[in-house]
Amino acid sequence: MTDYKFDIQIAKQNNPIVSIGDFTIPRQKITFLFGESGIGKSILSKAVYGLLDPARLNVRINDADYTDYLNQASTKLLQKNGFFVFQEPSTHLNPLIKLSAQLKEGSLSQSLDERQILRHLWETNKDGAIRKILEVYPKPHRPSGGEKQRILLAMAFKKINLLLSRKQTPQEHLFVFDEPTGSLDNNFRNLFLNLLFQKFNEFHFTSLLITHDYSIISEIYDSHPSLAKQVAFKELMKNDDQLVMQDFAPAAYLDWLKKEKAKPLSKKAASSKKTVVKIAGGFEIFGKRMVISKDGSRKEYGELTINGGEMVYLKAASGAGKTTMAKIIMGLIRCERLQLTLSNRHFVDDTPKQAWQKHIWGKKAGMIFQHADEALNLNARVKEVFGGLPINGKITDEFIREQLAELFDIEINEAFLNKKVALLSGGQKQRLNLLRTLALDTDLIIFDEPLNGLDFLSIKKVIGMIQEKQAQGKAILMISHNEEIFDAIVPPESIYYLFSN
Amino acid sequence: MKNQITQIYQEKDKLWLILWLGGMMTLWIWDLLFLNAPAMAKVQLGFINTFIISLMVIVFSFLLSWLSGVGLYFLENFRIPVFYLIATFLLNIIRSVPQIVGILIGYIFLTVMIQNGILQNSAAIILMTAFIISIFVFLEISDLIRERISYFKQRDFYNAMLVCGIPESRIINREILWKNSLAHIFNKLISIFGMSIFLLCSIDFIVSVGLTTDVSSVNLPVTLGSLLAKIDSKQDILAIGHSLTNPGYFSRLFFEHLQGITVAILIVFTLLCIYKISNGFAKRYEL
Repeated sequence: MTDYKFDIQIAKQNNPIVSIGDFTIPRQKITFLFGESGIGKSILSKAVYGLLDPARLNVRINDADYTDYLNQASTKLLQKNGFFVFQEPSTHLNPLIKLSAQLKEGSLSQSLDERQILRHLWETNKDGAIRKILEVYPKPHRPSGGEKQRILLAMAFKKINLLLSRKQTPQEHLFVFDEPTGSLDNNFRNLFLNLLFQKFNEFHFTSLLITHDYSIISEIYDSHPSLAKQVAFKELMKNDDQLVMQDFAPAAYLDWLKKEKAKPLSKKAASSKKTVVKIAGGFEIFGKRMVISKDGSRKEYGELTINGGEMVYLKAASGAGKTTMAKIIMGLIRCERLQLTLSNRHFVDDTPKQAWQKHIWGKKAGMIFQHADEALNLNARVKEVFGGLPINGKITDEFIREQLAELFDIEINEAFLNKKVALLSGGQKQRLNLLRTLALDTDLIIFDEPLNGLDFLSIKKVIGMIQEKQAQGKAILMISHNEEIFDAIVPPESIYYLFSN
Repeated sequence: MKNQITQIYQEKDKLWLILWLGGMMTLWIWDLLFLNAPAMAKVQLGFINTFIISLMVIVFSFLLSWLSGVGLYFLENFRIPVFYLIATFLLNIIRSVPQIVGILIGYIFLTVMIQNGILQNSAAIILMTAFIISIFVFLEISDLIRERISYFKQRDFYNAMLVCGIPESRIINREILWKNSLAHIFNKLISIFGMSIFLLCSIDFIVSVGLTTDVSSVNLPVTLGSLLAKIDSKQDILAIGHSLTNPGYFSRLFFEHLQGITVAILIVFTLLCIYKISNGFAKRYEL
């Protein structure tokens, strides 16, 4: 059986959005597709699956008009026999229908084994908790993002089971999982992968799994080594401004990870041992007492200290308050019982915001926000992102070019400097977001999910830059869900846990 | 070419701007052919003065609203709240006065200044008239500016820039207002332009009876409102009613009653077009 091969062009009112000559999905394999955020992974997979609106976009697939492509028998079978798990589950569940009913919509009603799937995805043998969730009408904050995502995954597995139950499995089918683990922690992610591979062992279906999570590679090689050769790793990237889909060598990631060891402090930084940040005894916020501990088992807790040249990795469950704590350190959120020392200045609950403005922001500390799309002014031009930074000397185009060259491989010409931020890809925005703060000379840098939306090449560069800053004696507070990478880089004594007591 | 026409048809603001310009041009050519020279000169002067005053209203309103919107924001965050309370109180007094009443009061000051020789030429009177109207319309834009600042303060990019040490005044003025709110402000200014034409014409019509024994509409620059208030224009407008009961008279309106008809068309057609342009602009920029 030949692989699915597509030549795809997508444009909006004659403005090209994405164009790729060879978008290949190997049949009877699970294809893991990596690539920088915004490069076109989702829109290409939606185009193939027939989910784009021909009235809004000009789409051509294999030289056929999109309306013709949608009417082809093979496309209809692809949809009929497959499933598409959307990246943002909140927007793809009907708020007017209970989740239990949505799990039985359309052809899903023919698959009657959802109980086992749900039990597996929730890692439980009791149905009570799951039943409560199923009786909910999905709203923006209820159930949680992770729970909604698991509901969508359960739908996909029901469809896979339906496929397996047939006497003769149809050739035309495609299961697309677009960032299926974005809202799941590593435990639930691994549960999903276990079930996926379990089903794959029963029948080798065709699946495309879009992800930014390179640690999936380690999980496959550690927990499912027999399947490593039956899955494909691909990467979507720009080559001389042309979008290409190429093989991704898992060894490139695994070898790099092995080499990344905790970097010893530079001699200068190690000898100074200057304490840059100290939070004594936790703090109270939203009626909860938050404490910090070096002990993941929560038995002991104490103070958080970050010295110059040290990288501290702060861990906590999703939504537990890591970003909130970072914002408290930066004086953006008020809390109670705060005892914070930052660059030899003492801050308490009622320290006015102006104190941070006068002494800290951009001078002693900087913070990189987690969502570049929200942290940058999308209507600004690339060079304007650096405007107004408190830097010694004038911010010239030359200075900006030097900064951009750190993370951008492309030619930094006048056109790029004047490009609107909104027109950059997600990964480019994230790099710009990082560079704005890294251009500053501050004692403390807080990184909130710095690897969001980056491809492997950019991840390596960003890690290199962070380690360079560390070697210069800067204190670093790291918040990231990329545990595998930062567990390798940060020494165990610099890992802290945040939890409510 | 076909694409450009289709695009203009879809972008209603551009379409209505073209329709307005086309309408004005057609009317001007018609008047050039059929309106007597003295009346033509008056209509042209009234049209120009009305538009200059309305344009100046836009300029003054823009400056006043930016100053007050940003000023109030910084006063609100200032440690001593009394300045903010005083500024808000003063602005609320202006807000509480109906626009037309406020402008009529402003015309009293205008009259006093003309009587005392402070305003000695048409240019000065035009500027002062525009300033008076601006005082009673700028708060709409000022409120919009404050809303925009408040909206963007909730977004991460405000805090992300602050913690990079970028001055707050730059974030407010440049990043929030200039980079992210100009289309909203411009759309409001289009409405203000229409509003000032309407208010100016209404007030000039009202004050045509005279302001004092020394100062009357004769001392003020000719506008479309004051032209409409003239007896010959009024007779022209009454002729429209006459033509309703005597349809045979209708064709004579466009030859024998051109002054009043022209002024009425200029006001009504302009206001309609401004309304459509503003709506189209809002739709195009998804405001």
